[in-house]
Amino acid sequence: MVFFSLFQPIIFLLLFTQLFSGLGRFLGAGILSYTAFATAGIVLQNAFSSAFQSGTAVVDDIKSGFLSKMLATPVNRSAILFGRLLSDVFRVVVQTVIILVLAYALGVYPATGAIGYLLVIFTVAFFGLAWSGISLALGLKTKSAETVFGIAGAVTFPLLFMSTALVTADFMPPWMQDVSTYNPVSIAVNAIRNPITGCNVAQRICNIGFDWNTILQAYGVIAAIGLVTLGATLYLFRKVVS
Amino acid sequence: MPGIIDVSQLVKIYGDGTKAVKGITFSVNEGEFFGFLGPNGAGKSTTIKILTTLLQKTSGSASVAGLSVDSDAPKIRKIIGVQNQDTVVDEDLTGRENLILQGQLQQMHGPAIKERVDDLLKIVDLVDAADKRAGFYSGGMKKRLDLATTLVHNPKILFLDEPTTGLDPQSRAAIWAYLKRLNEQGITIFITTQYLEEVDRLCRRLAIVDLGEIVAQGTPSELKQEIGADSISLGFENSSLNGGDVRTKARQVLEKKFDGVSNIVDSDVGLTVYAKNGSYMVPELVRAFDEAQIRLSTIGVSSPTLDDVFLKHTGKRIRVEEVSSANMRGMFGRRRR
Repeated sequence: MVFFSLFQPIIFLLLFTQLFSGLGRFLGAGILSYTAFATAGIVLQNAFSSAFQSGTAVVDDIKSGFLSKMLATPVNRSAILFGRLLSDVFRVVVQTVIILVLAYALGVYPATGAIGYLLVIFTVAFFGLAWSGISLALGLKTKSAETVFGIAGAVTFPLLFMSTALVTADFMPPWMQDVSTYNPVSIAVNAIRNPITGCNVAQRICNIGFDWNTILQAYGVIAAIGLVTLGATLYLFRKVVS
Repeated sequence: MPGIIDVSQLVKIYGDGTKAVKGITFSVNEGEFFGFLGPNGAGKSTTIKILTTLLQKTSGSASVAGLSVDSDAPKIRKIIGVQNQDTVVDEDLTGRENLILQGQLQQMHGPAIKERVDDLLKIVDLVDAADKRAGFYSGGMKKRLDLATTLVHNPKILFLDEPTTGLDPQSRAAIWAYLKRLNEQGITIFITTQYLEEVDRLCRRLAIVDLGEIVAQGTPSELKQEIGADSISLGFENSSLNGGDVRTKARQVLEKKFDGVSNIVDSDVGLTVYAKNGSYMVPELVRAFDEAQIRLSTIGVSSPTLDDVFLKHTGKRIRVEEVSSANMRGMFGRRRR
């Protein structure tokens, strides 16, 4: 399953970097390749779509009776939910590592070294956890995989394409630039992009190492999202369990 | 002496106002093979869910092995085995792995699990397939594996919701044979099923529920004797006669001319008539219907079965086809995405 769900990000990585390779000139010739720029976007996009699988998985557990079967055992109630989240985080971490290795093969070398990449993985795991909360809450609320998928599609693509995940802001019309600035996806992707590229792309400065302002801002936003989504998940899970 | 399952005035009203269980009272003795029967929507599954701590009751009391389902739920979960209507096995794992996982969920450790799993694989005849992925199992094998998972922790009481529905006759017979053996070893079995012949053969006692209430309770032979009459099932060629309902006409004929009739119930094809010495009545019956121009397509006489008991108390015949397609989908296990 980890294997198959990797197809999309791998195809995106290979496809987008070709499709938008002309964008490299917006980034300043010779400073940053588009592939290096887009790697962060692909990593995030993967975390995004991966997180939505938790919602459909929990629907599957409810519908198949697997959840009931677990609930009839002495297993701790919260362990059932946290086990789910933990396995989602584990999956997204494995996928991220594979994407980073592939990007390395395409010539994306980490500007901040191994520590930078550990930070990337940690950020992605954190983001994945917060975002899993949305899909889990949807799954528990609607108990329909189709609905989760539908909402996932309706939410993922606009958020992703109205962000700086795959293009720089100056590529967008002005109204979209405004959206993109406050889009949590942009904020999260900046925190992933900085350790990979060593740049602050928005401000067009490079070779700055870790840009802690950007990273901490992202952690604040992700934490706020996570608090809401995981809170909702916990609430809905309690309702399903009782 | 209190039973191992004690239910008193149990009520369950769902959030949308549906009264699924309307104050039922029954008790099951330790070591009993207890059948819990009823048409679809009678409240069987709701009751099982409450007893297995998966659902909270609205009012009344329910205890399992002397433990309250409200306050002692974790303790109850340790001593019960639960098989849902749906077959739940993880198709990505082998049969053995499924059992080990369940053992871990039951908080068993180390060599105890391994030994128990080996035993169980023998009990349900899955030794040869133990290390194949459950996704490759047939429906019957999955059901047997599912049954084995409910037994990992040596439960005192087994709750089974339709354990043989959707299975071929051999697999069904195999499951019933395991259940019989388990019961002989002292495990209390609480079962819902649509297979009345097996209930008749294996259940020491049973309760029939309909619309959330218990309508009959006792041993199979008590319940059959209660009918005290043979059943004559009549099928009519046409559903209407001279613009009227043929059943109504037939009832009039029966009530006017036959004293021995103790009860008349609508059935799918016509009527079921209960009467002492039913077979002697047949010639007269045919003549009377002929005079009334009611044409019979079938007529059959039998001594009472649990089917008749069920029909008498619920007005419905139990039919295996009643199982909804949703349940059938669940029969074939779970695949991870």
